[in-house]
Amino acid sequence: MALFQIFDPVAPPTPIGIDLGTTHSLVAHMVDGRPECVLDCDLSPLLPSVVHYLEHGGVMVGTEAKGKAALHPRETLVSAKRFMGRGADDPETTRLGPYDFAMPGPGESNSVRFKVRGRAVTPVEVSAEILRVLRTNAEAKLRTVGGAVITVPAYFDEAQRQATKDAAKLAGLEVLRLLNEPTAAALAYGLDKGRTRGTFAVFDLGGGTFDVTILSLDDGVFQVRSTGGDAQLGGDDMDRLFAEWALGHMGVDPATASPELVRAALDAARVAKHELTDRPTTVIAVTAGELSFERSIRRTEFEDLVRPVVERTTPAVKRALRDAGLRPEEVDGVILVGGSTRVPAVREHVKKLFGQEPLSDIDPDQVVAFGAAIQADLLAGDGAKDDALILDVIPLSLGLETMGGVAEKILPRNTTIPAGRAQQFTTYADGQTGFELHVVQGERELAADNRSLAKFVLRGIPPLPAGAAKLEVTFRVDADGMLTVTARELNTGIEQRIEVTPSFGLSGDDVERMLLESYEHAESDLATRQLRERITDAERVIAATEAALRVDGDLLDEDERAELDGAMRALREVIAAQDGKKVHLRTEGLDRATQPLAERRMDRAVQQAMKGRAVAEIEDTVKDRPEHPHLAASYAKDAETDKETR
Amino acid sequence: MTDPFELLGLARRFSLDRAALEQRHRDLSRTLHPDRYVQAPPGERRMALERAVAVNEAFRALRDPLTRAEALLTLHGLSVGDADRPAPALLMEVMDLREALDEARRSPHKVAALLDQVRARSRAEESALASAFDADDAPDAAALGRARDALVRLKYFRRFEDEADAALDY
Repeated sequence: MALFQIFDPVAPPTPIGIDLGTTHSLVAHMVDGRPECVLDCDLSPLLPSVVHYLEHGGVMVGTEAKGKAALHPRETLVSAKRFMGRGADDPETTRLGPYDFAMPGPGESNSVRFKVRGRAVTPVEVSAEILRVLRTNAEAKLRTVGGAVITVPAYFDEAQRQATKDAAKLAGLEVLRLLNEPTAAALAYGLDKGRTRGTFAVFDLGGGTFDVTILSLDDGVFQVRSTGGDAQLGGDDMDRLFAEWALGHMGVDPATASPELVRAALDAARVAKHELTDRPTTVIAVTAGELSFERSIRRTEFEDLVRPVVERTTPAVKRALRDAGLRPEEVDGVILVGGSTRVPAVREHVKKLFGQEPLSDIDPDQVVAFGAAIQADLLAGDGAKDDALILDVIPLSLGLETMGGVAEKILPRNTTIPAGRAQQFTTYADGQTGFELHVVQGERELAADNRSLAKFVLRGIPPLPAGAAKLEVTFRVDADGMLTVTARELNTGIEQRIEVTPSFGLSGDDVERMLLESYEHAESDLATRQLRERITDAERVIAATEAALRVDGDLLDEDERAELDGAMRALREVIAAQDGKKVHLRTEGLDRATQPLAERRMDRAVQQAMKGRAVAEIEDTVKDRPEHPHLAASYAKDAETDKETR
Repeated sequence: MTDPFELLGLARRFSLDRAALEQRHRDLSRTLHPDRYVQAPPGERRMALERAVAVNEAFRALRDPLTRAEALLTLHGLSVGDADRPAPALLMEVMDLREALDEARRSPHKVAALLDQVRARSRAEESALASAFDADDAPDAAALGRARDALVRLKYFRRFEDEADAALDY
């Protein structure tokens, strides 16, 4: 059976789920309704997220690259994810590490750049190399790979999400969705255990990022209640503290140590950390050139060393619980995700925070990739009504800088996405002809203390007395968590729309240029590739239209039906003629022609959704929930007090 | 503004069943969420996105009693701006609370106790809102006035709750 699927020439491409991790990355897909990881050439599902740049161009990725790190610490990039979406002068670049950084040249975007073999490499390009290998591995197993769901830490900001999308684009992947890692883990757990209802906390401590997410599961809908974390906290930080301790014992100042020694100390720290998971004591051994150091260390000593890292997870957990309006004991299960949750001190800490033994029966290294594969499969499917659905939130408040440098929140953190809200502002000076808008992300009161996402100016407003102009600013966040801001002056109708390209990161032009530079997209390829993409799009629209007509054809009258049939016929003609430009135009034409049908179908679906369950009936089911007494109690409490309703 | 009650198919009342509201939101999300339209033509995708955003926004407005009250007042043709003048007694009370918060800042227990105290005040205002909006089929001008006063007070208490809540972070 499996063989037939693999060699079936007309089999649809398989959607894949990718966990692009700090330490290692995985790719998974669904087999007979269950997620499965693609194995690397050395039969491991984990591809080390390490890229080594070779002397005469070309790269090495994974285990092989990891082997090069000791001798070539500057040419071998480890944990590049920690630098994604970061500015060139980000504090992350000054922490213990072997790299050399390049400052952006004139006209270059403000992104971290590693100096490698005389050229500057961005974290986006490094991640793209990792994604390319994952894609190739998946293709070797599945032949044709469809769209991909790529996971990101829930606490990733706008710039980091955009950087991840850019990396996927460079690697030639179609991104179906960016999915938050803890949500992916919950999806894998929820479906695996066949649970239908409950409140869960996901504690996700990886190599470089920490997330905590509280979510509830109800009839297959995973609704995120709150999320929090730290996008720069993880096992790496334990390794650093441990390595600095070792260097200190060697009488070496970490700030002036050679890259080789730093790399050796970090690697030795990681090995010893892993050993201390199962053993009460081990030996840490650092060797670099002439220097060597060995010392036995007890787990309790190690735990004292890394306690600050473990403790840093506490405020985010407490905040997430408060935001969800829950006490720790109201959580039905705590899911552990990420390799760093193997550290016994971390498990103990989680147990203390939630007052219960955490769950870890799905491999914490693979669970995120499993969730991504499940979501990819759901997205590539026909959207059946009883499929699982994820309702996620934005992790950080989005707002605008207003008078006095105050950040006004337009979409507060934990707002369910997709989300959109409009707010009105006015001028404060007579005759003002432009508005400067400064979009910020974060929880602090002052705009300057938050992450600056973008600045743009709405111009050409006729001079009016102060307070007379009316500016409407609309924030819109899509299901990937990506923000678009639109500003409109209501008196004149002057409008400006920007996809928020974060101030830190690559511009759209940068990405296009890198795409053109990469050998996979040589000029001659480009035309063929474009034609293929356009035909795929066209066929997709035709297939969707036909499917819609089969189910809801009765919603159109004869003329409308004839118009649609005509548009489809016209499109098929140009597909047959392989005329790329016309295919594109007529696809748009067909898309427009289907609008009335789409609108009526949606109305019908909404009416069915509302009719399917009268409100009185819902109330009855809610009051009668014997299988979950404690959730029922918490609902009863809300009804009475409405206390946690923000 | 679009009527969030109408959009979610719920009666235009202040008192509502949280669980029923959430159920309705889930049912509509199942129908309209962008995940259900990944394979759909671009036009349909945009349309579904617009509607999903509107449903989420209506859900947000109705879930919180404060924004629910704001929505009801707007639907009754009353504007609720920040310019609403609070009664001097309220200002005094909030000033006293703020002083107490400043003194309690270093002690999480004291902050939590203050929070509980103010939450009880908020709940009382929510009850006042319920009786103002829902006592009759359609609230008259006097009832709407009472609702507006209760809302102004609720806003002050909420702002204090946010501050106290933030103080718990440190």
